[in-house]
Amino acid sequence: MDRKVFLRTIRSCLVRLNLAGLFDKLVSALGIGAAVGIVFQAVSFVVPVYYVNLYMGILMMLAVLVAFVAAFLKRATMEQAALLMDGFGFQERIITAYENRNEEGPLVQLQREDAMRQLAAHRDRIRIPLWPSWKKTVFSVLLLAGMFGLALTPSKMKDRAKELHQIEQQAGEKEKEIEEVIEELSDLESEELTPQQFAALQEMAESLQSSLTEYRQADTEEALEAAGDKLNYKYGIMSSQIEDLARSLQNGGAVSGVTAQSMQAMAQKLREKSGNASQGPGGENGNQGGQSGGQSPGGENGNQGGQGDGQGTGGEGSGQGTGEGQGSGRGTGSSSTPHDYVSVPNAIADSESLTGNAYDHDASEYFRAQNGLSWEGNHVSHEAVIGSYERNAYEGIAAGKYPSGMENVIKEYFASFNQDQ
Amino acid sequence: MREWDRDRMQDAAYMAGLMADCEREIQKGIIGQGEIIRQVMLAMLTGGNVLLEGMPGLGKTRLVSTISRVFDLSFKRIQFTPDLMPSDVTGTNIIVRKEQGSSFSFERGPIFANLILADEINRATPKTQSALLEAMQEHTVTVGNDSHVLEEPFFVLATQNPIENEGTYPLPEAQLDRFMFKILVNFPSKEELKGIVTLTEGSQAPVIEKRLDAEGLLAARTLVNQIPVADAVMDHLLDIVMETHAANPYIREGASPRAAQALIRAAKAKAFLEGRFNVAFQDVEEVTYPVLRHRILLSFEAVSKGVSEDEVIREILRTKKPQI
Repeated sequence: MDRKVFLRTIRSCLVRLNLAGLFDKLVSALGIGAAVGIVFQAVSFVVPVYYVNLYMGILMMLAVLVAFVAAFLKRATMEQAALLMDGFGFQERIITAYENRNEEGPLVQLQREDAMRQLAAHRDRIRIPLWPSWKKTVFSVLLLAGMFGLALTPSKMKDRAKELHQIEQQAGEKEKEIEEVIEELSDLESEELTPQQFAALQEMAESLQSSLTEYRQADTEEALEAAGDKLNYKYGIMSSQIEDLARSLQNGGAVSGVTAQSMQAMAQKLREKSGNASQGPGGENGNQGGQSGGQSPGGENGNQGGQGDGQGTGGEGSGQGTGEGQGSGRGTGSSSTPHDYVSVPNAIADSESLTGNAYDHDASEYFRAQNGLSWEGNHVSHEAVIGSYERNAYEGIAAGKYPSGMENVIKEYFASFNQDQ
Repeated sequence: MREWDRDRMQDAAYMAGLMADCEREIQKGIIGQGEIIRQVMLAMLTGGNVLLEGMPGLGKTRLVSTISRVFDLSFKRIQFTPDLMPSDVTGTNIIVRKEQGSSFSFERGPIFANLILADEINRATPKTQSALLEAMQEHTVTVGNDSHVLEEPFFVLATQNPIENEGTYPLPEAQLDRFMFKILVNFPSKEELKGIVTLTEGSQAPVIEKRLDAEGLLAARTLVNQIPVADAVMDHLLDIVMETHAANPYIREGASPRAAQALIRAAKAKAFLEGRFNVAFQDVEEVTYPVLRHRILLSFEAVSKGVSEDEVIREILRTKKPQI
């Protein structure tokens, strides 16, 4: 064995030693990662964590990365490899020869020759295991299996996490939309507005802020739906209010056309949103238009109804609103898409001027149910519900469901009932 | 028997084989005690002195005389007693009457030999014991204003009795430190005892032959000094010595730096005797006992619990494993 072969032998042992170190660290890291992953999975059985599998994946990737980094940082040197080889009965001949590889002298040379001779004769003694101990490997594999087993095990909390995630996503989109609308509303505020108009815009923004809060606090499908319904309603109201504002500004004449136009555009946009947010396009817009017309007083209602009319295109649904004041609104809409239902107050549904009404069964199916948006509700006695209302209100306060500053108002409200009693 | 080849004095492999021959030759005259022979050989190869502790009649004198014969070295035995004076060891200036007039002449004491057996060294007074100090360390003897260089190789093999301590003067630490090894001579086994009796009381005593001489021994020492030591082995050795200074309830005082020197020299010599030209962890660990045994001072707790120096060293070796 010459010097080159001697060094090559040590280097091959070094490579094997480093590989063994890497595998050992990999197995350890995966085992530790799996143990932490099991904890994550266990937590997901009691707390809704939608991204638990993602976290688990990141954790395992991190474990592998750490193993590689640790293996690199703690990689063995040629001296360590030589020393390890000496452990196979070479009595530190190899490390001594390696350390003195560049030295000359009779004793050093003799030692080197002795080391090379011994290595050549007993090279087969050197057995560096590539894989970690079977106990460690089995333990890590069991942990990994446990982690994946838990990941695949269904649970109510996981379903709940999924549901919450969907709610969060939907609510998130809505929140973004509301924020945009609030911003656009604030853009409408100009010096040309009167304090009353300015206050009206402020009130709209505040109203949308409360919707924002509702979306943020929504943790069930029902809550999300309720928040959506409210928002639609608000959009409808706001569109007509902004329309009125725009008209009054135009009528006043002292205002630049830009602000009025912006308001018109905003009203249009809100009306569209109101339509999009409801269950279908077309006929429902007409319905919304009619509804707005019915609820708003005076001549403005007619205008509103007319605009609702323009929005709807083709379909089964139609809406018409008639105000109690001077104006009247009419909205017709049509859509090729069938609707689940259209809810209108009984007074409107019974009107003969409404196309597709209770008496026109060719265009739509009519039925009465006490669960529509416009249902006025049942009358129950105050004593029967005040207790549960108060409890729910206080629970809501504790859960932070209400906008800040409203807690005291709610408490005072219920306190006033108690005083009355 | 063939004469050793002086031309191959620089040939380490040849010299190592020759030393192994010497060891075997000594073993012909000493039954058993293989470990003690080995340790004494190590001390001779490194120029160290040895303190033998054991009961009388265990063949200590025979060992030294056998060694002197195998290595063809001059041998003197000094029986240490309480009335022994330093000049009885080193020698003294005496008046010599000559025709031209009287003058002082140095009369060499028994210390002027290659091999000195200082028998029952702890029976002499400290003053006499200290007379050995300079000789052991510097290999010189100073009498009056004159220093006399001792002939190389110079090797002191002292003995002391572990019992009958009454009227003895325990060796001071400084002097103990100058002994490279403290070797415990244990009672032989029944088989060994049978061999001893047969050997000494038989009609045919074994013939011990000279295998090397002073020159050869000094050449071997030079070679031993050149044996390379790997850093890891050196670290292990130093860790062992440093560990004697770590917090240990059984150690009052740890080993001196001289212990580290003695350890490395002894480990090199052991490797050489085994025909190896590098020091192994095992070499270091095996020579640790005789090197450290007399260099660590046990605490009162150790003494009260009956913990021996060897047990403390064993524990140190158990905790201080080589760092691979």
